[in-house]
Amino acid sequence: MKKKTPMARLGRAVIFIVLVALALTFLYPLFFMFSNSLKTLGGYYRDPFGLPKEALEWNNFFIMIRQFKIFKLFGNTLIVSLATVIGLIVFGVPASYAFSKVRFPGGDALYFAILATLFIPVQVTIIPMYVTFAKLKLVDNFFSVILANWAAFLPETIMLMTAMFKSIPNALLEAAEIDGCNYLQRLLHIIVPMGRPAISLTVIIFFINSWNDLFTPMILLKSTEKRTVIVALSSLVGRYSGDPPFQYAGLLLSAIPALIIYIIFQKRIIDGMSMGAVK
Amino acid sequence: MKRKVKQVIALLLCIFLIGGLTACGGSSGGEASSTAEGEGAASGEKVELTVWINGKDSYISPDEQKKPEEEWYINQAIARFEEKYPNITVKMIVSADGETAHQQFKADELAGTAPDMANLWTGQYTYQLEDACLDIKDMIPAEDKENILGWDAVTTPSGKILGYPTSDNQVCFFMYNKKIIEECGLDFENNPPRTTEEFDAACEAIKAKGYTPIVTDEAFPWFGCFIMNYWWAQLSGVDRIVANCDGTQKFADDEGLFKAAGYYRSLMEKGYINEDALTSADSFNRFTSGQAAMTPQVSSAVGDAEAALGAENLGAILPPDMDGASITGGTIGGPGQDIVVSASTKHPQECIQFLSYLNSKEEIMEFEKVQTKVSTRKDVTAEDLNIQEGTATAKLFEYSNNMVFWVDNTLTSDVCAEFTQLLSMVLGGQMSIEDFAADLDNAAAG
Amino acid sequence: MAQKETDKKTGSGTGKLARNQRICAVLSVIPAALIIASVKAWPIIQTVWHSFTNWDGLYKNDFVGLANYRTFISTGLFSKLLGNSLFLLISVPAQVLIGILVAVLLYEKTAGWKAFRSIYYIPQIISLVILGYLFKSMFSQNGPINQILMLLGFIKTPVEWLAKGTTALPVLTICITWYSVGWQVIMILGGMSSIDPQVFEAAKIDGANFFTRIFKIIIPMISSTLTYCVVMSVVWTFTSLFSLIYSMTNGGPGYETMTLDYMVYARSFLKGDQFGFACAVAVVLLIIVMIITFINLRISKAAEKEWG
Repeated sequence: MKKKTPMARLGRAVIFIVLVALALTFLYPLFFMFSNSLKTLGGYYRDPFGLPKEALEWNNFFIMIRQFKIFKLFGNTLIVSLATVIGLIVFGVPASYAFSKVRFPGGDALYFAILATLFIPVQVTIIPMYVTFAKLKLVDNFFSVILANWAAFLPETIMLMTAMFKSIPNALLEAAEIDGCNYLQRLLHIIVPMGRPAISLTVIIFFINSWNDLFTPMILLKSTEKRTVIVALSSLVGRYSGDPPFQYAGLLLSAIPALIIYIIFQKRIIDGMSMGAVK
Repeated sequence: MKRKVKQVIALLLCIFLIGGLTACGGSSGGEASSTAEGEGAASGEKVELTVWINGKDSYISPDEQKKPEEEWYINQAIARFEEKYPNITVKMIVSADGETAHQQFKADELAGTAPDMANLWTGQYTYQLEDACLDIKDMIPAEDKENILGWDAVTTPSGKILGYPTSDNQVCFFMYNKKIIEECGLDFENNPPRTTEEFDAACEAIKAKGYTPIVTDEAFPWFGCFIMNYWWAQLSGVDRIVANCDGTQKFADDEGLFKAAGYYRSLMEKGYINEDALTSADSFNRFTSGQAAMTPQVSSAVGDAEAALGAENLGAILPPDMDGASITGGTIGGPGQDIVVSASTKHPQECIQFLSYLNSKEEIMEFEKVQTKVSTRKDVTAEDLNIQEGTATAKLFEYSNNMVFWVDNTLTSDVCAEFTQLLSMVLGGQMSIEDFAADLDNAAAG
Repeated sequence: MAQKETDKKTGSGTGKLARNQRICAVLSVIPAALIIASVKAWPIIQTVWHSFTNWDGLYKNDFVGLANYRTFISTGLFSKLLGNSLFLLISVPAQVLIGILVAVLLYEKTAGWKAFRSIYYIPQIISLVILGYLFKSMFSQNGPINQILMLLGFIKTPVEWLAKGTTALPVLTICITWYSVGWQVIMILGGMSSIDPQVFEAAKIDGANFFTRIFKIIIPMISSTLTYCVVMSVVWTFTSLFSLIYSMTNGGPGYETMTLDYMVYARSFLKGDQFGFACAVAVVLLIIVMIITFINLRISKAAEKEWG
């Protein structure tokens, strides 16, 4: 078992302190936003880093919900993010299975080609993409953002899943084959369960990416009814005027769904350990 | 087993198709201007116009965003317009980001889905889009040309007028904290520093009392764009600056530039500007919390400053005049935004009717009830708006009568990009003015 | 028996079974490939095409051959931007190493692991623009970093960190590392979860200490995950730092902290009518990242062979 020498205890204490210190720095931005969301505009400009000095402006949150209709924005963003993630899984898992476990003509080349699409910053490709979508009358339509997200995130998803599926033991797949499972069955009954960590990671990372994405929805979704939450919040602070406390209230609220998804799925990354489920 | 799997996949695909179709159905293709109905100039035909309005720093204030949309000024203005012209409906779309709106406008123009009107930034930002905008010079009613200021912000060098300036005549000035100035034994209200010597002396007095004379965040050269450019323009004249940009003259020979930038740098060297100006992010906070005496700003910042310091404590003065300047007693400013008419609009007349209405005296007075901006109408004065004499805002109204249009909106985009990227290095002494001018010349040539 | 990540794939050979495999594999890949190709391929081709023109985003579209490339590469600007991007790459090994250390600690359920696992990802949920603004204030002249360093006696007077390229780039690197640790941690935890925990137990019983466990056992086992982490971090550093740099330094002072992808954005979206030029910069970026990734993949394949 673990040795409990004084050195080991000291070492563990030091590690704990370091981890706690890091954790505090990670929590600080949330604290900053929360503290500022409760300030009045004047109070914020007088002191953006301290605690609120006047009566707390809970109003910012109420107005966010009632007038700014942040829950409607959540709804829009949810549609986009969920559809994005579902698509990534439906299209990404089979492709990754193929790339990681089967040697087929053109496999390596295709893999690298898909990877290469990540090397171009989105700013240059978004305008030609927009023009195409506009000509197809697809703009101001959730599907355009969802499609753009699939194309943007599938390469990463495939790379991630391929890397992780590689560690699924071939013995399992061979055994299943001998038992009479066909390709599809192997995919659904072995890869998917054993690939749960990769799938959970995909859900977390790309749900949050879609949820927080500013650029693509800003360009592709114009009307007020369809705006996503971060785009809407970005219009609250301009170059010459703005209401930062109000914006922070919104940002804080919008961080909550993302945090929830993270907390739910991060458990599955570790707990999804199949281990001897094999045997 | 196989069947179950197939069912699951079928189910997923169905969800997709349904989702996709509902999403598709949701869009009404509302970007395009209204369906072809001839020239639409005749009244009585139903016309629908689309107009983009910037969500920030424009007709919609952050306060209004806290209210339901029907209560926004711009929507009420549209409702009043639609009442007056029953055959026209106007659909407003909020552009989340003013900067991106320009590229978006271009993209929509290429795709054929451009709106009828769009809220853009003036000067070079608009001129770049010349090919996408309609020249409305001959369509503007004479009384608008008479009464509205700021047409030069939307007139291209070749004389085309591409839109109406928005009623926000931005004025650059030094905001100052009256209490601090008083404490330093100065009286900026009755005896403001008008020469560079007086200005230096004032800063010296402020510094002696332990306050920062001027505070600014120059990572993006605000002071440079607001104040230094005024000195440059008043010495060299705007025509010279334009000539530098198109290569007929050189920045390297522009004495006005050297003098203005030299004085700008000297303020830093003498310790009159906060020493971390190149990296600070909180100059406005330092000003509003009473650590600094002055900060270079624009008229839109007055509201927030008054909220923090109190209106009685907020003062405004013009930048001092450089020795030998041809323009004096003025400042930089001008409408920073405009609404252009798209070249592909099918209803140009109706667009003009809308823009003219929006800029009418009655509408401007309504707008001022919601946001106090220095208006572009000559016939709307500070008194009309019941602005108290002696307040910062009242002074800004005065200043707006003598302004040089934004120099950085006048520079061509390549030069402007270099200018805003490198100017702070000049301030910090990391780059000489000669090298700076040489870089600007390279950008102008490239 | 230790599970290793194998490279063995089925589908080679000419038997009916193998051919069947290959057909199924191709079918699995087609939907994803189709989506990516139809939505991204055309814009990328257009980008490459426009890099040879003086496109201003609208109607000006004359062929100028290699002029954009010549302008960009011949000025000192290209080497400066490339240098900056390369410097920021230092964050990648830093992130990965810290990520591994923290991930192993959390996996082994050190005190408070549940809370830490939730907290460490938080930066990834917050917009980089806000984080950039916070960092800028932290490292400002009267900011907390300077105060702490002076308190601890490391410096005598406050340092204006972001005022010079030589200090700003390391600060940016630190910020990027801080931001990315959470991502690395969950990635590595994901990779570790596909390994039989009995392997870890066995190693502990055998008396291997913490670092031996990490370097001799864990790292080789999750090598393909680590490859993924490194490659993606490198690509991210080259193509997605825009919002952080925008809010922290605007690329400044001058061009000291500007990266290639910032330049792409600056010339296309900010005061942009140099779209053709921006496309050229993007293509140069594409080539550079391609080369680096290729090298990366080669190295990891070799490492996998050696360890695996």
